[in-house]
Amino acid sequence: MEYLALVMFLAVCLVLLLGYPVAYSLAGTALIFAGVGALFGVFDTSYLQAVPSRLFGIISNQTLIAVPLFVFMGVMLEKSQVAENLLIAMGQVFGRLKSGLAISVVLVGMLLAASTGIVGATVVTMGLLSLPTMLKQGYSPSFASGAICATGTLGQIIPPSIALVLLGDVLSSSFQQAQLNMGIFSPESVSVGDLFVGALVPGMLLVAMYLLYVLIFASKQIDSSLNKNINNEPISSIGLFSALFPPLVLIITVLGSILGGFATPTEAAGVGASGSLVLALINKKIDIQKLKDVMMSTTKVTSMVFLILIGASIFSLVFRGFGGEELIEELFANLPGGVFAAVLLVMVVIFLLGFILDFIEITFVVVPLVAPVLLAMGIDPIWLGIMIAVNLQTSFLTPPFGFALFYLRGVAPPEVKTSDIYRGVTPFIVIQLILLACLALWPNLVTWLPSLL
Amino acid sequence: MGWVAMQESVMYLHGMVFLLGAAHTLRVNEHVRVDIFYRTFSPEKQAKVDIFGSLVLLMPVNLFIFFISFDYVVSAWKILEDSQEAGGIPGVFLLKSLILAFSFTMVLQGVAEVIANFLKISQQKQLNKEVAK
Repeated sequence: MEYLALVMFLAVCLVLLLGYPVAYSLAGTALIFAGVGALFGVFDTSYLQAVPSRLFGIISNQTLIAVPLFVFMGVMLEKSQVAENLLIAMGQVFGRLKSGLAISVVLVGMLLAASTGIVGATVVTMGLLSLPTMLKQGYSPSFASGAICATGTLGQIIPPSIALVLLGDVLSSSFQQAQLNMGIFSPESVSVGDLFVGALVPGMLLVAMYLLYVLIFASKQIDSSLNKNINNEPISSIGLFSALFPPLVLIITVLGSILGGFATPTEAAGVGASGSLVLALINKKIDIQKLKDVMMSTTKVTSMVFLILIGASIFSLVFRGFGGEELIEELFANLPGGVFAAVLLVMVVIFLLGFILDFIEITFVVVPLVAPVLLAMGIDPIWLGIMIAVNLQTSFLTPPFGFALFYLRGVAPPEVKTSDIYRGVTPFIVIQLILLACLALWPNLVTWLPSLL
Repeated sequence: MGWVAMQESVMYLHGMVFLLGAAHTLRVNEHVRVDIFYRTFSPEKQAKVDIFGSLVLLMPVNLFIFFISFDYVVSAWKILEDSQEAGGIPGVFLLKSLILAFSFTMVLQGVAEVIANFLKISQQKQLNKEVAK
């Protein structure tokens, strides 16, 4: 009966393409299969009895409380125009260089990733502010839109990131399960904090690679006749300070309290959320109406994320009820090439699914199915988590369903063609694949820093 | 009431946000869709997909959640289930009841979606007729 699990997976993919909200496409299709399976006696309905306690597990999960808090922090910083101020200040500093604007886009993208971490907000802000200026300065549309989309997605990998919170939660339960299956009854644990620490070096490396690419290729992509250094006004050090100081303080307090071991990621998220509110108050960028807006969009984003989690947990219960776990274990056991081939297969599958699915769906649906098997092969959980996170980051950039591309398309002027955006992100997808290869070759890039702490 | 209760209150607030906010999020259409094809559909076809989804996917799932969780919640009410931590909020049965509130509001919103989408289709047809005249 195990092949039914596979049929169900394919059926879900087809239903998803209809376009009904993801959470219900997952859970609804799974329930239909479960119902039909139960009628023919090939599905063990006792698996579904676990649904209420699973739902309560989602409500009472301490780690996941970080999600609404980080969302609140990001939306608050977005509404208090931190990004705008940063872009203007950085533009002044690097405006003298020929490829200065592209460099400042990457650097601002990095800072925003470490403070807000909301991909949509970053891409939209930079698309509105930087794209027109870059085009005016003679950058080719594809190069400019590629750089903005790619740096906008840095929020996925640079901690504190919501993607890593979700991934860390899924991985920690997979890791426990893998060790129990191996007969280890005093299992070690892996936390969201470990993933944050592990993501630091790869994240910085990715920024460095983006910068290198921009430095080398920007000059070729600029139409020099248009690129006059218009920006010769003196840099106001007060302006620069007031733009850089607030996000830096937040980054240091949030990341510092996690790295220093003073706070769990959830507590640090609380610090970040209240800190963003304080900064907005100091900058006088907030009133009751804006606070309401921020809380409203936090509620909507949080509901969206957790509804997918609810749908995915029903899906995975049904998948297990059909014996899907054994199917996956068998598949990996019979795979020639051992651990390397298994990881490669998973990475290719995740990359391909990234073309149609978003990181939340992949984290909740695919990772819990494959991670226990991979971890039981002795793979380091932090390394696996970062590999998956970098891989998932590309799902934001890959056409046709890359979110970053939609967001930029929404705000880009009409003279930027959609095909320009697609062409522009291709080199950045290649850069990310290179990073993945580096991490695979030298796992120490990930595991070195966590081993020190 | 002490620190443990205060820490637990965060969990209560968190649970309320996403369980009670889910139906509103559906109303304002902010649940993620895989819209590669959906985006290119005519408004009429989009409405048909939404009617199909509400009837075949959303409502069965939420009715299922409601009925399978019903005994779970009732047994929590019978003992007025307390927190597992000493000094926690003595209202776990209330927290669990949110699951019923969630599935109930979702079903209601599902009914509303079906009606709204049928209206959308009939209005569209009306428009088409007027254009044809």
